[in-house]
Amino acid sequence: MITSLIGLILRAAVVLAGTALITFTLLWNAPGDPAQAIAMARFDALLTQDIINQVREEAGLDAGFWTAFITWVGPLLTLDFGQSSVTGRDVWPDLLTAIGYVTPLAVGGLAIGLALSFSLAIVATRRPGGLLDRFAIAVASLGTAIPAYWLGLLLILLFAVHLAWLPAMGARTPSHIILPALTLGLGVAASLTRIIRSGILEARDQPFLSAIRRRGVSPKDISRDHIAPHAAIPVVTVFGLELAFLLEGVVMVEVIFGRPGLGTFLVNAIEARDFPQVQAVVVLTALIFVTVNLIIDVIYRIIDPRIGGRNA
Amino acid sequence: MNLSVSGLSATRSGRTILHPTSLDIAQCEYIALVGASGSGKSTLGHVLIDNLRSRGLRVAHVPQCPEEALDPLRSMRFHWHETERALGFDPGSTDKKTLFTALKIQDGDLQKRPWAWSRGMQQRFVIAMALISAPDLIVLDEPTSALDPIIAAATMDLLGQYRKGHDTAMILITHDLGLAARHASTLIVMHNGRIVEKASTVEVLKHPQTDAAKSLVAHRIWAAMPC
Repeated sequence: MITSLIGLILRAAVVLAGTALITFTLLWNAPGDPAQAIAMARFDALLTQDIINQVREEAGLDAGFWTAFITWVGPLLTLDFGQSSVTGRDVWPDLLTAIGYVTPLAVGGLAIGLALSFSLAIVATRRPGGLLDRFAIAVASLGTAIPAYWLGLLLILLFAVHLAWLPAMGARTPSHIILPALTLGLGVAASLTRIIRSGILEARDQPFLSAIRRRGVSPKDISRDHIAPHAAIPVVTVFGLELAFLLEGVVMVEVIFGRPGLGTFLVNAIEARDFPQVQAVVVLTALIFVTVNLIIDVIYRIIDPRIGGRNA
Repeated sequence: MNLSVSGLSATRSGRTILHPTSLDIAQCEYIALVGASGSGKSTLGHVLIDNLRSRGLRVAHVPQCPEEALDPLRSMRFHWHETERALGFDPGSTDKKTLFTALKIQDGDLQKRPWAWSRGMQQRFVIAMALISAPDLIVLDEPTSALDPIIAAATMDLLGQYRKGHDTAMILITHDLGLAARHASTLIVMHNGRIVEKASTVEVLKHPQTDAAKSLVAHRIWAAMPC
């Protein structure tokens, strides 16, 4: 267990280092002159070559690739994301504000998604192939097919425009979060429902269940102690992918609902070619993703230690 | 206690795999259920267990292989406690040491999951679970196919002793006519989902009446037979 945990952490570290290097390389080699873009964002006026050169020097863009990379990565190890090359302010406080907006949205979306998908899947698997089961599959398929931007607009149309129950744009009050979280949650629920449903059905087919039943164990105990752990394995697997979907969805949903947050922060940073900000978002996202997948790998090994034995 | 059941039958995907069957089992009787593969032996065992259980009788079951008896995600201790609870005991209150020593699995680590044990040890653990409380009937479905010959013989002897000590009837489902002849007093021959012959072991081996029984007896390859 300890050895495989160390292996997992090393793997996570390699992924993070790779992400940092690739992000930096891509941005460094992006077409166009970043110094010019930064100068435009800063001064918003007629630019002379002198000003552009001065900006280039200040932003460290005149250094070689490796020098610049090391200058960036060194402080990053202590979670110091450096300063914005446009405003010159520290990246971290602005990023923290964005995280403050995005966290309740992501958590809310995930909670709605989990609650919906678990209840749908449990209702559906009461009678596989029955009317409720087909209904649940249909809803889930429809949910997977509908893109978030369309669903978001529909929800705005219904709840904000026609019924006028909920606000659509911005993030001023807590109720502003309901529609975006719902958009996000419905997307999560659609894909998770199918996985949970098939996980439960597959778990019910395990060969040892009838022997356990014949030992006199009650159906309730069998569901809790034997079916649930077996059904959990595929669900835990998909959960990691679901998080990627969530991080991606959050950016889109923020734009649709005009919310400030990580998406807005990222889009603005890209437009202004503010490399430190873009890099900070990418690295932070990768950190979250890698950490969650690390936790998932550990949960896996707790549910079924054979998984660790095969991989180690 | 004499056990009597009637009207046992089973169909799978519209096909009858067990025709209506009645069975009387005397107290402490040792019956071997023999027949070719697909003759409905295991199915008869399953419906018999379900029927007797639904009537509130205590029936223990040892499936063909440990994969059909143990959840790979749960520890041996969990299985043991679960079975104790299902039988109405407090977890940990039954005497597992004597059983484990008799079955030579006292060194097995109960914290481990089934797959960390050898298949033979798993199978003996399943047999131990069947013996926790004195059941009215134990149905053993090819109980020794996962065991090596020496352990298999010792296990079968232990089960025989247990039966006498506890007045438990036993049904041994097997292809192994030699095993059946050595332990069972009554032989039931099955063919195509029906009981075609039921008589004392010696009688069937000496004078098989039906084609199914004749071919089973004719194809025996075991040297040591009581006849």
